Amino acid sequence: MSNLQQLSPALEDYLETILELSEQEKVVRVTDIAARLNIAKASVAQALSNLKKLKLITQDRYGPVWLTAKGRAYAAGVRRRHETLVYFLVNVLGVDPAIAEKDACEMEHVVSSQTMDRLVAFLESKRYIPIGEANVQETEKSPKRLDELAVGKRAKVVSVNATGAFRRRLLEIGITPGTEIVIEGVAPLGDPVEVNVKGYHLSLRKSEAACILVQPT
Amino acid sequence: MAKPASVIEMAARKVVALAGNPNVGKTCIFNNLTGARQHVGNWPGVTVEKKEGYFVYNGEKVRVVDLPGIYSLGAYSEDEVVARNYLLSGDAGVVINIIDASNLERNLYLTVQMLEMGTNVVAALNMVDEAEVRGIKVNTDKLARILGIPVVPTVAPKKRGMAELVAAAMQETMKSREPLKILYGKEVEEELAKLEALIDKHPMLTAKLSSRWLAVKLLEGDDYALRQVGKDILQQREESIRRIEENSGQDAESLIVEGRYGFIAGIVEETVTRRKTPEERLTLSDKIDKIVTHRVLGIPIFLAAMWAVFQFTFTLGDPLIGYVETFFEWLGGLAGAWITNEVLASLVVDGIIGGVGSVLVFIPPIFLLFLAISFLEDSGYMARAAYVTDRFMHTLGLHGKSFIPLLIGFGCNVPAVMATRTLENKRDRIITLLITPFMSCAARLPVYVLFVGAFFAQREGLVIFSLYLLGIVIAILMGMLFKTLFFKGEQAPFVMELPPYRMPTLKGTLIHMWERGYSFIRKAGTIIFGVVVLIWLLSNIPFGVPVEQSLIGRLGQLMTPIFAPCGFGTWEAAVALSFGILAKEAVVGTLGVVYGVGEEGLATAITQYFTPLSAYAFMAMTLLYIPCVAVIGAIKRETNWKWAGFAVGYTLAIGWIVAFLIYQGGKLLGLG
Repeated sequence: MSNLQQLSPALEDYLETILELSEQEKVVRVTDIAARLNIAKASVAQALSNLKKLKLITQDRYGPVWLTAKGRAYAAGVRRRHETLVYFLVNVLGVDPAIAEKDACEMEHVVSSQTMDRLVAFLESKRYIPIGEANVQETEKSPKRLDELAVGKRAKVVSVNATGAFRRRLLEIGITPGTEIVIEGVAPLGDPVEVNVKGYHLSLRKSEAACILVQPT
Repeated sequence: MAKPASVIEMAARKVVALAGNPNVGKTCIFNNLTGARQHVGNWPGVTVEKKEGYFVYNGEKVRVVDLPGIYSLGAYSEDEVVARNYLLSGDAGVVINIIDASNLERNLYLTVQMLEMGTNVVAALNMVDEAEVRGIKVNTDKLARILGIPVVPTVAPKKRGMAELVAAAMQETMKSREPLKILYGKEVEEELAKLEALIDKHPMLTAKLSSRWLAVKLLEGDDYALRQVGKDILQQREESIRRIEENSGQDAESLIVEGRYGFIAGIVEETVTRRKTPEERLTLSDKIDKIVTHRVLGIPIFLAAMWAVFQFTFTLGDPLIGYVETFFEWLGGLAGAWITNEVLASLVVDGIIGGVGSVLVFIPPIFLLFLAISFLEDSGYMARAAYVTDRFMHTLGLHGKSFIPLLIGFGCNVPAVMATRTLENKRDRIITLLITPFMSCAARLPVYVLFVGAFFAQREGLVIFSLYLLGIVIAILMGMLFKTLFFKGEQAPFVMELPPYRMPTLKGTLIHMWERGYSFIRKAGTIIFGVVVLIWLLSNIPFGVPVEQSLIGRLGQLMTPIFAPCGFGTWEAAVALSFGILAKEAVVGTLGVVYGVGEEGLATAITQYFTPLSAYAFMAMTLLYIPCVAVIGAIKRETNWKWAGFAVGYTLAIGWIVAFLIYQGGKLLGLG
């Protein structure tokens, strides 16, 4: 986490919530987040737009919310800290689990990553907690940007995160949500990429492909 | 072409428009329908090519208008705007919509949009043979029934289905058809109903447009629709868009595009049968593509293709240019001997015959180049060339396709400027146009050879190479500058179809070549001719005096102080550069005349007037300053006088600045 600037506690909670929801539901919607955190939809939208700016999530206008690889890692880090703290409070210090949960929620946002790393290392070395990285793995099936998809892989379009005429063009030539898309190849110099969509071939620059979120199939 | 005069003179009352996606064989069908009876122009106000022709059906003349190849009737590109405005104008009684049978889904998007407008459409299900090879079979009867329009299977290169297509189109023309109604889902439909009700209150609107179509277009954010309606409707539109987004969690624009594709998916399901699964279906085109865009082979293949185009154009073209030159010299000699009046003889020989000659001399390379480019385009390789080079060109702020004009520029800038027409995006086209003249063309070589031979005898190759490199570097810098200066923030997406490879037909390629070559002669030709005659006048008034006392000589003397800081502040150099605007190689001939030594004694004569440093500055100036008149004419032809004027002004400034820096910098370093 050290390469990312520290987010505000509230934003960290959002990320953690999105991660949890994404593990339970197929898609995460603004409504779900608002319900889980008991916050007004408008405030959620505001927070999401901040996360979007930091490239931690992607969201089509009013569409479902997806964690980016970076966002997923960050959220996993937040959760890891939370779990470690709870474990420490309950199992090492003998705090009541309910209080530990509440305290951990407060502590996780203020403890520096350095302290946290040391604490985890300490607990691991004392065999208090199992050795391991953040317990969330990037799975084959988790949504990713089209430019991250390997050659020959198939995926379904989840959303088109562009605006204006460019977004319209992508939609109209057939890159609509639900469409199957295959990466056919990469140009000799590494950019652009060739994709197959609706039975024909299309070339896109990687920066353009990055606007398209897909779900590998 | 031999038609009864009555038919040719008759005004065409019936008009058929051709519409379709790019690369579906639309041009081929246009050629089949009209034969050689076609005319290429521009759509008013834009540089989009407009092709028209006619055919005769049952003794009646029918006009055919070829619309630009488009994917949608939106307002994404100039092409789309042109097509949409044309269809709205109601000029065409019927539209023949050419559909690629192997790619029904995407092609029908345009069809559906036209049907929603209430346009009379006849679908030409083209390349059914190619589709069958790929295991795709379309039930045309069923497709016709669902869409409610005639569907004619065709194979354009083999002219199959043409008669049926024409007959169907003539049947449909002027019919009045109910607009197609696609259901866009509850959330959208509720709001559409509100908008329609509001639009229906304005008889002015419903008189020319269907209220449903207008309502759909408003939700899509179509600029034409937005301009048609008043404040009350716009307010309702805002409200509707907000409500749709709130209720469905998706934006209206996506829902409508998805709605159309959903409707189309249903049609495809009903009418298309596929023999094999997609995995097994590696077509010949796919196999070619695997090699041509291969990670290792892609670039060598591209370079080999470019080398072939270059060789084809210039190696084959040079002897032909020689013939044209010889012919005009012979013609000039003939005229000179025949006309006794000295002034008249000079006007006819140097002015008119010389002027016509300097236009026609470009015909061999231009026709050959366009023959090659047409082949590359029609075969589908051009898109791959752009794909392969885009990474590199993109860092320079250009498009992959810009590579070809720039490369051709080393041969001759004129066809290079014309080759920029293959770029669809205006921004890419104009930037490429503006920097192409810095590619050192073959006509500049004689100037280098003369000066390098006289001043840099030991390092000829190196010095000439440095000039080519100088041109490239300046072009790159200018490209980057223009990108930020004129087109700041303008996004030029690369999204481009890579069409299947096809064997181009000879007729199609030749027509393609002829159209472009002819348009050069017609448009650029007049400009070139005009300037040649103008320069003749300047150098011959008053008549009978040495060049020094002619108007151009006096102009040269006026310009002397301007070029002094660059190291060549003599009237001879200024006059030579003025004549260089006619053609860069004219710099050599002019110097021979003004020094009074002819071309033979020139190498020794210039050593008295130039130092090695000023010679290098002069060569740089020759390379960079004002492109020759033919290039200016070509730029005007591709853009407008504004850009042509700008190209003249800025290249002159760049030429002067670079020459100044070379000369003054060299002096500071003690080289002078």
